[in-house]
Amino acid sequence: MIRVSGLRKHFGNTEILKGIDFEVPPQTVLGVIGASGSGKSTLLRCLNGLETINGGTIECDDVRLEASLSHADYRRRVKDLRLKVGTVFQHFYLFPHLSVIGNIIEAPVHVLHTPKKTAETEAYELLESVGLRQAARRYPGSLSGGEQQRVAIARALAMHPALLLLDEPTSALDPRRMNSLRALLRTFVDRGHTMIIISHSMGFLAGVSDNILFMEGGVAVEFGPAEQVLNSPQDARTKDFLLTADSAD
Amino acid sequence: MWTAGKAQERVLRWGADPSGGAPYVFTDPANPDRYIGYEKEMVDALAQAMGRRAEFVPSDWETLVPSLQRRSFDVIVNGLEPTGDRAQQILFSKAYYIFQLQLTVHRDDTRIKSLDDCKDRVVGTLGNTAASRILQQQGIPFRTYADPVGAYRDLELRRIDAVVMDVPAEAFYARANPSLKPAGPPFTRGLYVIGLRKDDLALKAEIDVAIDKIIFDGTLEMILKKWGLWNEAQAEFQAPIRAGTQSTKVEEYTTTNATFNWSEALWRLTRAAAVTVLIALGAMVIAVVLGLPLAVGQWKGPPWLRAFCTLYVEFFRGTPVLVQLLFLYFGLPVVGIAMPGWLTALVGLGLNYAAYESQVYRASLEAIPNGQWEAAYSLGMGPMLAFRRIILPQAFRIALPPMTNDFVSLFKDTSVAFAISVWELATAYRELANASGQFLLLGVAVSAFYLAMSLPMAHLARLLERRLRDRATERVVEPEVATA
Repeated sequence: MIRVSGLRKHFGNTEILKGIDFEVPPQTVLGVIGASGSGKSTLLRCLNGLETINGGTIECDDVRLEASLSHADYRRRVKDLRLKVGTVFQHFYLFPHLSVIGNIIEAPVHVLHTPKKTAETEAYELLESVGLRQAARRYPGSLSGGEQQRVAIARALAMHPALLLLDEPTSALDPRRMNSLRALLRTFVDRGHTMIIISHSMGFLAGVSDNILFMEGGVAVEFGPAEQVLNSPQDARTKDFLLTADSAD
Repeated sequence: MWTAGKAQERVLRWGADPSGGAPYVFTDPANPDRYIGYEKEMVDALAQAMGRRAEFVPSDWETLVPSLQRRSFDVIVNGLEPTGDRAQQILFSKAYYIFQLQLTVHRDDTRIKSLDDCKDRVVGTLGNTAASRILQQQGIPFRTYADPVGAYRDLELRRIDAVVMDVPAEAFYARANPSLKPAGPPFTRGLYVIGLRKDDLALKAEIDVAIDKIIFDGTLEMILKKWGLWNEAQAEFQAPIRAGTQSTKVEEYTTTNATFNWSEALWRLTRAAAVTVLIALGAMVIAVVLGLPLAVGQWKGPPWLRAFCTLYVEFFRGTPVLVQLLFLYFGLPVVGIAMPGWLTALVGLGLNYAAYESQVYRASLEAIPNGQWEAAYSLGMGPMLAFRRIILPQAFRIALPPMTNDFVSLFKDTSVAFAISVWELATAYRELANASGQFLLLGVAVSAFYLAMSLPMAHLARLLERRLRDRATERVVEPEVATA
């Protein structure tokens, strides 16, 4: 269970997030939509602790990150939060000096101190489920974009996160690959994972999300079931955005 | 260019090494624009007798003969001994001075009374001199120095056990030093002559007449007395000339000869190469290890640490490594740290190259995209773990080619160690080539030694680079057996 309340973030005098509230129930997918500069990427970076929050709280299972914590407590809490939250970056950021299997077992072995054999066994299972078992010994430089993305998903899931964040997972995919990614993500949800996905593709999000959050100017404008937000939005700003997004899609 | 014109006829251009050259010729401490010394005064007198104007060309002791041959000056006047090997290359004038050798030891030394007590000791002397040849012939381990100052300095610090030097230099540099004392009386008697080019017979005749003249009229005696160099040996030597009998019995005096054979030269070069490798590898280890904290400190450290690292880097990059080595070798003993020469070179070059390596590291570390850090953090890694496991291995790959480059040049830079009398390849080349005149052949041999050291290293680095690169792009799919 993920709960964000009153989340604020500013860079200097510029307020990027002006008090965001939402919840992601377990085993569901939240799709985040909004124009560039609406604050959705910053929201994601707050959720995995890459940005320091200036106000509000982020709760993920039993970890509660508060802006009001002392510096030392905050740092400890961010560490805990990062263990709960996995991230698949838009550009994946696979470790080029490690093989596919090396990328996946790196954190379980060195952060969780899982025995290497156990970590490898799990890694092969994950690779199996993303359809890349045969690529285990290859290096990221020799993989296609889609393959790299699936390795990045496997790498994040190997840490057993309570929440998986995906930043623009569709930006480099053609429609056919988009469909297989959607199917893949749904199987992980069925197995118990919870996700937040940022995407510009309404078609992709419609098929994968349970709930949708629409952001504009650092404010959560509309939040509700995917069907409802995408098909009959309540707020005029959401309507406008969806109209322009549809014509672009 | 040098030979044209009649104006040159009236000039006598003479070469000598003024650095540490007292009392022969040296910079006047009271007036650094001026050279003084007994040979300076003698050449002035000779030139006057010849109706010429003396012009001093400051040069380097080890390369006096080749410099004479390439016409940098017309005569060598620098306490030159008429050795057999030099006789093959240049012409000698009549003798003008009888030198003796003096053994000097540390004030507290009770073991050494004469050269016979030095069989298992290390004796310092100037390279390519009568003293060094006598030591070599008697099989006494010795170290050669570029000037007397360095030799006596090392004796004071007990880096060596004794110093053998021509009496004029010993009189000037060692006799007044309270921490040193002479061991036994002066020994052997040899001649100082003036060196000329082989074909300069006319100039030789002119010089010989002039030497006789300044001996005959007492000018030389006056000069030598003024410098405290007049002694019985000079009186005996000058007597027949001043009596007008003109017979200088050269046979009565000792002449040493450089013994040179190729197998010995190669053996000495091999030992020098070993020293070079030792210094280069040791310095490399220091540079690689010390470069990393410097790079990280300058990159991510708090302001004070950043300032310190920057200061370190700018100091070691911005001053010549030669000056740094001289400082370490002669300056540090003042605060009680007296390292032997090879260790000084090793540490000095290591500290110097650490500054360069730190910049290579820093550039490589900064070249790693920020996303790599973020990916590591978001997987729960702390900064140290992320640095060690994710950033450093990638930076190393980027740093490898420039590092290889630096280390090949480090191999060559070991040659500056000659300044602190370390017997490495470049020193070996200078001394062997000067002793034999075999600049070309020995040069080829020494170059071969350097290449034999640097080529395998460059090759190794290329192999490593290729392995790292291939790994990133390999498309080989290995069938993986299930481990589940």
